[in-house]
Amino acid sequence: MAMLEIENLHATVAGREVLKGITLSVNAGEVHAVMGPNGSGKSTLSYVLAGREGYQITKGKVTFMGQDLLAMAPEERAAAGIFLAFQYPVEIPGVSTTTFLKTALNAIRKKRGEKELQPIEFLKLQKEKTSKLGMDAEMLKRGVNVGFSGGEKKRNEVLQMAMLEPKLAILDETDSGLDIDALKVVAEGVNALRAKDRAFLVITHYQRLLNHIKPDVVHVLAQGKIQKTGGPELALLLEEKGYAGFYGDGEAAPRAGGKSI
Amino acid sequence: MNAFLQQDPINETTLPWLEDVVKLGEQLAADWVRALRHTGAEQFSRTGLPTTAWEGWQHTNLRPMLQTYFHYSIDAVKFDVKKLPEKLLEDSDRIVLVNGQYQPQLSDVPKGVTVMSLMDASVQIEGIEQHLVTLGDLRKTPLKALNTAYMHDGIVLTVKDGVDVVRPVEVLFYNIGSSDRVPAIYPRTLYWLGKNSGLTLLERHVGEGVYLSNGYSGIALEPASRLKFYKFEEESKGAYHFSFTGLQQQKNSSFEGFSCATGGKLARQEYQNLLIDSGISSMVGGIYLLKDQQCHDFTVLTDHFEPNGKSVQHFKGVIDDQARSVFQGKIHVRRSAQKTDGNQLNHALLLSETAEASFKPELEIYADDVKCSHGAASGKLDETALFYLQSRGIPLAEAKSLLIQSFLNEALAQVSFAPVKEIYEERIRTWLAH
Repeated sequence: MAMLEIENLHATVAGREVLKGITLSVNAGEVHAVMGPNGSGKSTLSYVLAGREGYQITKGKVTFMGQDLLAMAPEERAAAGIFLAFQYPVEIPGVSTTTFLKTALNAIRKKRGEKELQPIEFLKLQKEKTSKLGMDAEMLKRGVNVGFSGGEKKRNEVLQMAMLEPKLAILDETDSGLDIDALKVVAEGVNALRAKDRAFLVITHYQRLLNHIKPDVVHVLAQGKIQKTGGPELALLLEEKGYAGFYGDGEAAPRAGGKSI
Repeated sequence: MNAFLQQDPINETTLPWLEDVVKLGEQLAADWVRALRHTGAEQFSRTGLPTTAWEGWQHTNLRPMLQTYFHYSIDAVKFDVKKLPEKLLEDSDRIVLVNGQYQPQLSDVPKGVTVMSLMDASVQIEGIEQHLVTLGDLRKTPLKALNTAYMHDGIVLTVKDGVDVVRPVEVLFYNIGSSDRVPAIYPRTLYWLGKNSGLTLLERHVGEGVYLSNGYSGIALEPASRLKFYKFEEESKGAYHFSFTGLQQQKNSSFEGFSCATGGKLARQEYQNLLIDSGISSMVGGIYLLKDQQCHDFTVLTDHFEPNGKSVQHFKGVIDDQARSVFQGKIHVRRSAQKTDGNQLNHALLLSETAEASFKPELEIYADDVKCSHGAASGKLDETALFYLQSRGIPLAEAKSLLIQSFLNEALAQVSFAPVKEIYEERIRTWLAH
């Protein structure tokens, strides 16, 4: 059985159906890219998988490592191994990144029945992961993401991922707002985490991220459905021809830039 | 009811409040003390308690108090010493008052400091009168007038010129209530710091049962003196707490005041900080943690008379259930107070749909070369931040606690004395756990 099985998933936001029957399966060790135009439901899919409130699941099911994912609270999903790297990481003034990471890691360890890390052990681990990502240790003392540049925020997401060691990492438009150097650093951080027992769902509008994080499988999401699935070559094709072929009647034409959830 | 209270001059509702004043008449006291009491009683009899029609009382309704009949007692209060709480800081000296009455046998007075009961001080300390008679306009402050009418209990604490008191001093106000004969407690306190002296003071109000504590503290800071004044309003659930702190700061003195309000059914802490000379620093801040049907009011006036003063009013609160908070802050900058740096901030976090926060932020500036700012806002916990924390594996309750603590930490940052800051943090954790 695949690590993640999404079957005929339908979801509405404020009464509007955004996901209209998604079926997708991801095996351990694989990197799947989900590409799609604005408004296709990409971010909705990532939030639904992570358990954000405000989304109504009207049909379908999601199984993660044999468990009914949709029945779990967001923190339970995190403990089970789901990690969502946010498109817009949240600023939390007054809570240092160190405190945040320590609370998160120990909450997850506790839930998994593992021993909580002592402060010294934790700091050692954090130092190791931070230096690998080329992050300034001073940043960890500041409020979470407060005063961070776009690149620093995304790097912080990758640091959290490295610390929490998820089974399935969902990257929601991780490339947005990054210049090419920052993109490379973040992609290297992600690539370093690729492993036999870990899968990635890389959600992106553009192909350029996939130059740095090579996917095994590419899905095209449009009109709330997976329209096509193929290998890495599909991403290149989209880059060349755009999403035009995947729009049905009444669907908005793709816009340059911009973003909607 | 309000119209009834506003009747002028004497009306029925003022009489019960003043009934026990006669008990004081039988005691020996200096003439000026008797005169003050008389003035206080007379002024209170003209106004009664303030109603919501009064300036400054629009959001705090004292009506619920009228259902109770309060009694002042001059007799020595009986209590079980074992019931007194532990000291807040192990490494400190503690002064104990029970129902406003000074307990010298339970108090430790550090070197360089003098503590005596208000009545002893009124006859023994030279020049004390000038610090106890400056009351302002009692007609506008009925609770202070009422306290003055009962001027008997409380203490005078003085620090000698040039003495820097190393160990913090805790002043514990322990109040014992009763449901059949509900006590009214009227402590009058003076903290008087001599020239170039320094003190860290923890003022703690705690109690059991139903009672009214209506206190008035004067703080006199002589030139270049330094006071850290940390308050803990932890009155019992059924208590009414009113405290008026009148601070008078002289040249180059500094005041760092902070208060954590968690107790009482209905409470108001009022500060009147007068910066009467130049080069004064006056910081006042606090946090309020309210639940059930608690009401708490912080009313703060900072009045700059002379140049180069720096003041802060920075308060944050968390309100749950049907609790209500009030913040009224005013920074007054007189024409001669050039180069004043004043900053006022109040933020409230509402945890339930029925919680309420009222603000009245004011700046009144007559000088032209000043830097003043203010801001007030209330809001809910940020849903996106909560989801962010949950998505990292932090359970919802813990995520909420973390966000609430981070919100309050911004106010706590003002507390420069780390051991007290830790106690405040502990208070927050305890409050969150319930």
